[in-house]
Amino acid sequence: MNRIVLRPPITRCPHSCNHRNILRNVVSDGPVKNPSSPVPGSAPEVLIQQIPDALMVTVEQAGLHLADVLFSVPTDVTQDGKPRAGWLIATADSLHIFDEDEAHPAAVFHLQNADKVRLLQTVGSAFVQLRIDGVYVDVVRLSNGLREIYGRAVAQVRRLLAGESFQPDALRSRSETICSDCNLPLPAAKAPCPRCAKKGGIFKRTFLLMRPYWSSILLLLAVMVGGVCLDLVPPLLTRKLVDEVIVPHTNIGWLPWILGGLVVASAGRMLLNVVIGRTSSFVGTRITKELRERVQSKLLGLNVDYYNRHSAGSLMSRVLNDVDYFQGFVSQMAQGFLLNVLLVLGIGTTLFVMNWHLALWVMIPIPFVLIGTAVYWKVIYPRYYRVWDSQSKMAQSLTGLLQGIRLVKAFGQEDREKKRFAKAAGYVQSSKRSLEMSAATFNPIMGFVFGLGGLIVWNAGGRDVLADKISLGTLMAFFGLLGMFYSPVQALSMFSSWLTGFIAAGQRVFEVLDSTSQLDEPTESRRLMSLQGRVELRDVTFGYDPYTPVLKNVSLSIEPGQFVGVVGKSGSGKTTLVNLICRFYDPQEGAVLIDGEDVRELGTDALRENIGLVLQEPFMFRATIAENIAYGKPDADPLAIIQAARAANAHDFIAKKVAGYDTKLGENGAGLSGGEKQRMSIARALLTDPAILIMDEATSAVDTESEQEIQRALAQACKGRTTIAIAHRLSTLKNADVIYVMDEGRVAECGPHDELMAKDGIYARLVKIQTQLTRLEAA
Amino acid sequence: MTQTNIIPLPLPANPTGVRRLVPEGTVLQRGDHDSLRCTIAGDRTYDGVSAVRLFPISYGDQFVSLRYTDEADKEREIGIIERLADFPPQTIEEVHKSLQRHYHEQIIRRIHKIKQRYGQLFFQIETDSGSVEFVMPWRHDRAEEYGTQGRVLLDSLNNRYLIPDLDALTPKEKQLLVSFIYW
Repeated sequence: MNRIVLRPPITRCPHSCNHRNILRNVVSDGPVKNPSSPVPGSAPEVLIQQIPDALMVTVEQAGLHLADVLFSVPTDVTQDGKPRAGWLIATADSLHIFDEDEAHPAAVFHLQNADKVRLLQTVGSAFVQLRIDGVYVDVVRLSNGLREIYGRAVAQVRRLLAGESFQPDALRSRSETICSDCNLPLPAAKAPCPRCAKKGGIFKRTFLLMRPYWSSILLLLAVMVGGVCLDLVPPLLTRKLVDEVIVPHTNIGWLPWILGGLVVASAGRMLLNVVIGRTSSFVGTRITKELRERVQSKLLGLNVDYYNRHSAGSLMSRVLNDVDYFQGFVSQMAQGFLLNVLLVLGIGTTLFVMNWHLALWVMIPIPFVLIGTAVYWKVIYPRYYRVWDSQSKMAQSLTGLLQGIRLVKAFGQEDREKKRFAKAAGYVQSSKRSLEMSAATFNPIMGFVFGLGGLIVWNAGGRDVLADKISLGTLMAFFGLLGMFYSPVQALSMFSSWLTGFIAAGQRVFEVLDSTSQLDEPTESRRLMSLQGRVELRDVTFGYDPYTPVLKNVSLSIEPGQFVGVVGKSGSGKTTLVNLICRFYDPQEGAVLIDGEDVRELGTDALRENIGLVLQEPFMFRATIAENIAYGKPDADPLAIIQAARAANAHDFIAKKVAGYDTKLGENGAGLSGGEKQRMSIARALLTDPAILIMDEATSAVDTESEQEIQRALAQACKGRTTIAIAHRLSTLKNADVIYVMDEGRVAECGPHDELMAKDGIYARLVKIQTQLTRLEAA
Repeated sequence: MTQTNIIPLPLPANPTGVRRLVPEGTVLQRGDHDSLRCTIAGDRTYDGVSAVRLFPISYGDQFVSLRYTDEADKEREIGIIERLADFPPQTIEEVHKSLQRHYHEQIIRRIHKIKQRYGQLFFQIETDSGSVEFVMPWRHDRAEEYGTQGRVLLDSLNNRYLIPDLDALTPKEKQLLVSFIYW
C-alpha cells in the first residue's frame, strides 16, 4: 500500500455531520508529534492502486474492482461549490466520481469517449474536464488546495488518453507546497518550511551577525560593569557626607576628599561613557553596512518572480530604513538594555543591603510597570507595521508620480495626483499619530507610577527617620539611589517601544534574506567556453502561476547563426519565451537547451555571459556613455567600446556630443532620444560579443527613421551569431531564416516569410492587417 | 419565447465590437453532460458555455460574459449580457449556476483568532460552511482589496476567503484583523 500525504491535517466538521471537511486547510501551529506518519483518517491522500476504506462497499457495488484501480484522489467540493468529501477513482479506461456520503457513484466517464483532459483554473477552485464530442465536460471540482495533486493526476489521465503507461512514481513525488515534515503550507512553492528551518529568532540571528565583533562587545560589557560600579559611588559618599560630616559636624577634613571622590567618580563615568558610545557606534555602523550589503546582494540574486510580488518602494524601505534599526541594536542593547539591567540589579542589591524594609516599598510600582509594558507591547506592535506600510506606500506614490510626471502633465491630472498623494500622506499621519499617541499616553502613566513610588518611600522612610530607625543620610542616599533605580526601570519599559520597532524591521530584513525565490544553481556549473548558439525548447510548459500555463508544450529548435523571428499577438507568449531562454524562470515541464545542454545545468552566470538582450525600453544608468555601453564588460578598452557603438550605428551621434563618450547621462538617459538610447543598448549587447542575441520589441518604441538606423545596426549585429527577434513590425522579419508564430502559448506556425505567406494562416493574416494599416497611415 | 419575438444577434462586423446578448435572441439551456448550451438567434448553438462576471465587485449581475472553448482549445466570447435581470428566471438560474462554478470564495462571518508565527498568519474563522482554520503568508499580495470595504485573503494554497465588508465585523474582530492586515 502506498500512501502519500500531500495536504495538512484535516479536522472533522464541527457541525457533527461526521464527514471529513477537506475543504479546510486546518493546520496546527503547535509541534507535530509524529509528522512523518499521518493521523489516521485525518489527512487526504493520493492512493496508488487502492480504494479509500470508506468507499470499499460502494465501489464494489458499482462493479469496480480493486485490481483495475490505478489511483484514487480525494475531492473536497461539489460541482456547485459546497464542501463535501469525495474521491476521483481512475482506472485505465474510466474515471469514477464518488461522494463519501452517497451509496452510488456520482458520475462515470469513459476515457474512450474523450480525446483531451485539462485542469481548468477558475476563481478559487479548479475543474478536471474531459473533452467529449468536442465539448469540455466537468468531471470533478476541487479547491485550490488540491491543485498540486490534481495537476499530477491530470498528467496521468493525459497519458492514459494517449495510450501511454501509468506512472505511479509521478504521483508519489514530494509536495512542493506543503512541508513534508510538519504539514505546514509553505510560503511559496519549494520554499523552506518556516517552522522547520529553525533559524532562531531575530535576536539570535542578530547576535550571530555580531560574532566577528565579540572582542569589542566584551570590552563594552566590561566597561559597562565598571560604569555601574562607579554609579554606586556617589550615593554612598553622599551618605557618608551627611551622616558623618554634615549632621554631626565632625570629620570636617573628610569634606574635600569626599567631594574629590565625587568628582573622580563623575569623570570616570564620563570616560567610560565615551568608550561605550564609540565602541557601540563602531560595531553598529559596521553591522549595518554589512547587513545592507547582504540584503542588496540577496536582492540581486532573487528571481524576477520575487519582484513581481514586492513593490520597489517596500524593498527600498528595507534596505534604506529597516537596516538602520540594526545600528541601534548594539547601542540599545548596550546602553538601553544591558546597562539598565545592570543598574537595576546593582542598585537594587545596594538598596536591599542598605535597608531591605525600605527597599520593599521601592519595589511596589514594579509589577504595574511590567503589566503596563506587556499591554503596551501588544497594542503598539501592529502599529509599527502600519507606520512602515504607510511610509512605503507614500514612497511608492511619490516614485510613481515623479517617474510619470510627463504623463501627469500631459493629461492635466495634477490635482488628482495632489489628492492621491495627500491620501498617502494622510495615511502616514494617521498611522504615526496612532503610534505616537500610544507612546504619549503610556510614558506619562509610567512616570506617574514611578512618582507614586517616590511618595511611598518619602512616607515610609520619613517615618523611619522620625522614629530614629534609620539615619537621615541613609534616607538621602536612598533617594539618590531611588532615582537611579527607577530611571533604568523606566528606560527598560520604554525599551519595549524601541524593541517593537526593531522586531518589525528585523522581520522584514530577514524575510528578504530568507527568501528562496531563486533558481536552483547546479553544484558544478559547466562553463561554455565556445558557445555555438544552438537553442532548443523541448516540450516546454510554463506559467507564471504554475496552474495557468502561458506556454503550452512548446518545442522549437534554432540552429547556430540563424536569424529567427518570433511574432504573435500580445499575450501569446513571445516574451515568456525569451524569459525562459535567459533563464529568468524555469519551465514547469520540459527543458530549454543551449548547445544541447539544459540551461539548469549551466548556471545562470555562464548562460547570461553568452546572451545579449536588447529590450523594448532601454535602461540607461546615471553614468557616462562609455560606462553605459561597457556595462556588461566593465574592463572593455575604449576601442572596443567605439567598435560596438559603430556596429550599433551609435558612434556618430555620440561623436557629436561635446564630451563624446565621456558624456554623463541624466536619469535614465535623459538627453538622448528613444532611438539613440536603443542603439546604445544594442552596442551594450554587442560589446559582450554574445553567441545569442535576443531583441524583444527592440524597435517598437521608436520612429520610422530611428527604426531604419536601428535596423541597419542590427543587420551588422546579427552577423555570426544566433539572433532571436521579437517584433510587432513584421516587415523587419522578412529576411529571417525562420519565423515562429506564437498563438495562445503554442507555436502555431513556423517557416520562412514566403512559406508562411503561402500557407495563408495566422502570419499571412497579420501581414495583411499591417499592410492595410500602413496604407491607412499613408492615406 | 415565441418565434415573433426573436431578434437575430449576428457576430459584430467589427471583430473588436461587443455583441450584446438580449433575451429575445439568446436561449440558455442544459446540454449534453450537464454542460450549458447557448443558442444565439442568427448565429449558432454553442456547447460547454461558461459565464464570467466582467465587473464582479462593482456590477455583480450586470456585464456577464458568456464564453466557450473552440475546436482549437481557445477560449472565445459569445457575447455579453448587459443586465441579467432582464432575462427569464430559468435563464437567470442557469447563468447563476454557471457563475457559481466559476467563483469559489468562502465568506468570512466571524474571526475568532489570528496568530502570527514564522511570518505566517494562522486564522481561526467562521464561514458559511462552518469553522475553518487556514494559514496565510503575512504578505501584502495575500490580502487584496475587494471594493472599498472588503478584503480577499489568499491562504498558502491560494484558497480564497472573502470579507465583503470590514464594517460588518464586530469592532473587536475588525481591530484584530487590522492589527495584522493593516494595508
